Amino acid sequence: MGSRPLAATDERHSVEELEELAFELRQKLLQLCGTYEGAVHIGGDLSAADIFTVLFHYGLNVDPTDIANPERDRFVLSKGHAAVCMYITMAMRGFFSYEGIVETYGQLDSAYGMHPCKVQLPGVEASTGSLGHGLPLAVGMALSARHRGDEHRVFTLLGDGETGEGSVWEAVMAGRSNRLGNLVAIVDRNRQLMTSFAEERVMFEPYPDKWRAFGWNVVEIDGHDMAQLVGAIDALPAPDSDVPTVIIAETIKGKGVDFMERNLAWHAGSLGAADLERALAALNASREKESV
Amino acid sequence: MPVTFTFGEFLGARSVIGSTLAELGDEYENLWVLTPDIGATLVEFRDKFPERFLDVGLAEQACVGIAAGLAYDGNIPVVSGMLPFLSMRALEQVRTDVCYPNLPVKIIGTHGGLVGNGGSTHYAVEDLALMCALTNMTVTSIGDPLMVGEIIRQSMTMQGPIYIRLAVGKKDKVLYEPGQHEVRIGKGIVARDGSDLTIFTHGTTVAQALDAAEELETQGISTRVVDMFTLKPIDEDLILRCAEETGGRFVVLEDHLAYGGLATRIADVLADRGVQLTAFERLGIPQVYAGFGEDEQLRDKHGYGLSATVEAARRVAAAS
Repeated sequence: MGSRPLAATDERHSVEELEELAFELRQKLLQLCGTYEGAVHIGGDLSAADIFTVLFHYGLNVDPTDIANPERDRFVLSKGHAAVCMYITMAMRGFFSYEGIVETYGQLDSAYGMHPCKVQLPGVEASTGSLGHGLPLAVGMALSARHRGDEHRVFTLLGDGETGEGSVWEAVMAGRSNRLGNLVAIVDRNRQLMTSFAEERVMFEPYPDKWRAFGWNVVEIDGHDMAQLVGAIDALPAPDSDVPTVIIAETIKGKGVDFMERNLAWHAGSLGAADLERALAALNASREKESV
Repeated sequence: MPVTFTFGEFLGARSVIGSTLAELGDEYENLWVLTPDIGATLVEFRDKFPERFLDVGLAEQACVGIAAGLAYDGNIPVVSGMLPFLSMRALEQVRTDVCYPNLPVKIIGTHGGLVGNGGSTHYAVEDLALMCALTNMTVTSIGDPLMVGEIIRQSMTMQGPIYIRLAVGKKDKVLYEPGQHEVRIGKGIVARDGSDLTIFTHGTTVAQALDAAEELETQGISTRVVDMFTLKPIDEDLILRCAEETGGRFVVLEDHLAYGGLATRIADVLADRGVQLTAFERLGIPQVYAGFGEDEQLRDKHGYGLSATVEAARRVAAAS
């Protein structure tokens, strides 16, 4: 690969370090969910926490001190309701002040809101929140990079429920038709919509086959297995190749907190002080269980 | 190839779009042209800059979203297509992907109004109401085919988005001689001066208003015709000046729903400024799905054709 002027590649973390960062991210998410009085989309934040971690601490070639560098990798958060997970991950990576997020999230004049706004928060790449918009935006950015001969990639994170939106599949066709090997979609396949489980009312399966049928390079992984996440990033085809990649990351909504996992009640919510302790204890217990 | 034309004759606005974009492609290396399968008029640009031309096929939402992605990365994307679909099927992408971050995406298209005889699926009659509602959006509707080129050119240096509405764009009357009027986005054009009343209009009905004014002249009524080609931001000063100079007598004529388009924009200005008119009539499409027919037949059928315009102007001129 050609010259990569940003600092990121020198700072790649080990799988163990990434697991530790993801744990810390989940703690911070729960803290916010405990202190902020309004609803936090905690279920889909926790399902995506490992994905965010591997992106911002491993996969993305970005530099928090150089956010407009044209050669940076782009990241578009298509599942915009996971904004707070992105803010905190980016804060941990040095983009934003974590205290700033905790102190102002969701408040009047804060740049940190429920869905990300690029105008108010430079550093995020796009204003999103309405579902089905991120992949078309990413296609446009990837086309632009391709046209300029840039070597960076454009990543976007979608929820699986979101891929019910027709605009996603319009962009899937456009990505393949324009041979955008520099485009990487990651699907947080947590198998839950807001009010139902996948397959209950909406049949997604055979899900990876749908992407294959559109001609994409399909990578299926366990989205909570950091080694597999790292492996998927390492195995990405060269940005100047012809086929876009989708990483379908099997996840659990609410991952890490037993009473939130696979629980439709925790699409979004708020924890009181007592429940915060309970959630943090559950997160600790979950880690201990997994390390056995 | 430069466009040749003759004043008063007919010219396709579409060919002006094609040649203008091909020309601007040289000047602006970040100019892209995108279309959802409506590219026939864009061949000049496509052939000259194939690497900056994108036909996504039938996918308006992705087309606008991709344009926004290009604009995020410093490009100037022009999305060209049929307005009923760009303004409605892709409305949320226009609003959320383009207007919310205030990106310099140009949306330019045809089939604004009851034109083209495609039936109500293919008439954009609500588009100006929808576009005027969007924060950051500049909204234009162009009748004179040569003006289209000038508007596209001016829009290149605009920071935010713009909507450029045309009728069918295959055969449009050249209304103005080049240099006859200053063309500036946000400023109305006094296409014909007069003192008894003002007809405000835009797009395809400017020619009809001028014909009406001609007819009214023979009846002793002096009619000012204002080509209010920018609906947003609206030229408030010109509206107020016309209220003063033409006896507070207004007719608003448009190939758009009678409520929600230019007439509404003007009525808002008058209400906000506390201006009391002597008479005000709006001519446009009523709340019906208009059916089939040639453009003029439909305008006559739905009460905003040439004779209806003349009659409305006579009533307004006579009002006390």
